[in-house]
Amino acid sequence: MLTLAIPSKGRLKDNCNAWFAERGVVMEMAAGARGYRASFAGMPDVEVMLLSAGEIASSLLAGDIHLGITGEDLLREEAPELTGRMHLIKPLGFGFADVVVAVSAYWIDVATMADLDDVCAAYAGKHKRRLRVATKYAQLTRQFFALNRISDYRIVPSQGATEGAPAAGTAEVIVDITTTGATLRDNGLKILDDGVILKSQAQLAASLTADWSGEARKACEALLTRLEPAGPLYSALVAQLPR
Amino acid sequence: MAAFPYYDSKAIDALNGQAVSLLGLFASRGYGREEPAVLQPAEIFLDRSGEEIRRRTFTLIDPSGRELCLRPDLTIPICREAVMSKRSFPARIAYNGLVFRHQPGEPHRPTQFFQAGVELLGLQDRAAGETEILSLVVDALKVCGLSDFTIRIGDLALFNALVDALALPAGWRSRLKRHFWRAGYVESLLYWLGHGDGKAKLPGTLEEIEALLDARGDAPMAGRSREDIITRALDRAADAANLRLDAKVADAVAQLLDISGPAEESLAKVRALLATAGIKLDPQLVAMDARLATLKSLNIDPARVQFTAHFGRNMEYYTGFVFELWARDKEGPVQIAGGGRYDSMMEMLGAKKPVSAIGVAIRTERVLAAKRGGK
Repeated sequence: MLTLAIPSKGRLKDNCNAWFAERGVVMEMAAGARGYRASFAGMPDVEVMLLSAGEIASSLLAGDIHLGITGEDLLREEAPELTGRMHLIKPLGFGFADVVVAVSAYWIDVATMADLDDVCAAYAGKHKRRLRVATKYAQLTRQFFALNRISDYRIVPSQGATEGAPAAGTAEVIVDITTTGATLRDNGLKILDDGVILKSQAQLAASLTADWSGEARKACEALLTRLEPAGPLYSALVAQLPR
Repeated sequence: MAAFPYYDSKAIDALNGQAVSLLGLFASRGYGREEPAVLQPAEIFLDRSGEEIRRRTFTLIDPSGRELCLRPDLTIPICREAVMSKRSFPARIAYNGLVFRHQPGEPHRPTQFFQAGVELLGLQDRAAGETEILSLVVDALKVCGLSDFTIRIGDLALFNALVDALALPAGWRSRLKRHFWRAGYVESLLYWLGHGDGKAKLPGTLEEIEALLDARGDAPMAGRSREDIITRALDRAADAANLRLDAKVADAVAQLLDISGPAEESLAKVRALLATAGIKLDPQLVAMDARLATLKSLNIDPARVQFTAHFGRNMEYYTGFVFELWARDKEGPVQIAGGGRYDSMMEMLGAKKPVSAIGVAIRTERVLAAKRGGK
């Protein structure tokens, strides 16, 4: 049996269903499963599970499912080093969003990460504590700040309404996901010129740590060939799987 | 060594035997052993140290929701205690214990290992402190029975003084100093300063800046005052107008940073390049000469002492003299001890005034491995 998880609600779910339907793969809800299980017509070896986008990322990392569709932002946050853990099979062309570094628009002297570095260092020197960055993307933030050689900051974990943190006084800077930037602007924030950490979209991803039995491999090959008949999707995945 | 080491009785006996000799030596020089808790409140490490320590620190949340961590070193908790208990200075403290480090991208390296070391806090005479610590680490390896090692030395103060001597705006000088320990970055900044066009037009007058701020009155201040922002915006505009370094000076500094090799020879090259660039750094060079003299008096063959101008100790808290001792185990060169000066840490941890600090940590398991043999 091959297990595939897709988002259980929202636009991501609708887009997923449409994406499969366009490729002639029709999803059928399982009776009595309260909408948490489904299957693909004519593919009895594929079990479809409907999970939250975050659960899909952590289940892939844990090897509990073979395949999953979720935002690349969540996958990269869950597994900063994808090698040996996950394989991104295909970007799906929906669910576009950017993970960005945003500061108050009042900080007219801050336009780039280099400016932010100066301000972080000055803040640490003056207040003897570090400037706070609110985010639910701690790993992505850490990597990106390290890449930009910023070290005088600390992360405060935030679950939701991150854009309100600077106004609420719980953090000075945020790292958050945005599609149009409107929510950030409404909260008096601006994105730094070189502050785009990740241009994310929905990805069909495989767990490399799942139990890839011969049966699961066969079902996966059939599914991927059906989804993209001419594409090398399956052979690219197999090259990553343990032998 | 494995990611999760298992110590059998032979290994424990060897480690304990060595620890007794080391702590005995430390005690004979006035360093009493202390031991902070293994589990520490996370904030002193996360808030007071830089990214390099942070990304390698194991953190956890206790059942009440408090963020804790496994100590990634003993220096910070020991210094913290010295501040909190208002210790009288100079204070001499020794330790021997496990530290815990995540090894990103290197899953085969151990997540825990022993460190034996000392901290010398609040000794006014910095040169005397350096001599004391250097002799101690050399003697420590002697009591461990390891004689085949090399020493790498460097000095962040030398670089800071060099940057201060450059005709650059203050903001750029502090940026260069802040990034000294990151290989490659400073060189590219220098190249850009000496050869790039580096001109950016920014709103420069007070009126322009105030108008911009007034237009954004609804946005959060986010922890900074209006004055802060105005001052920095003015500085930034002035910097952008003046950002230029004589190409000859920029190149001399970049070449200087590239110097690495036998210490006496390297320092002669440093002096020559400084002369070319027209920069005087006598106090820093005299301090370096004194360290070499100390090593010589400890019977260290000068051929075994390397000077590296761009010495990137990977703990950001070092502020001046830094050193590493290297030996070989069966897999190749391995760092067996490291230390240096960290004069700003005590203040970062809450001391009311600056307290000089210098210390060294010895990787005792690596010393044993090096004795078992490399060759």
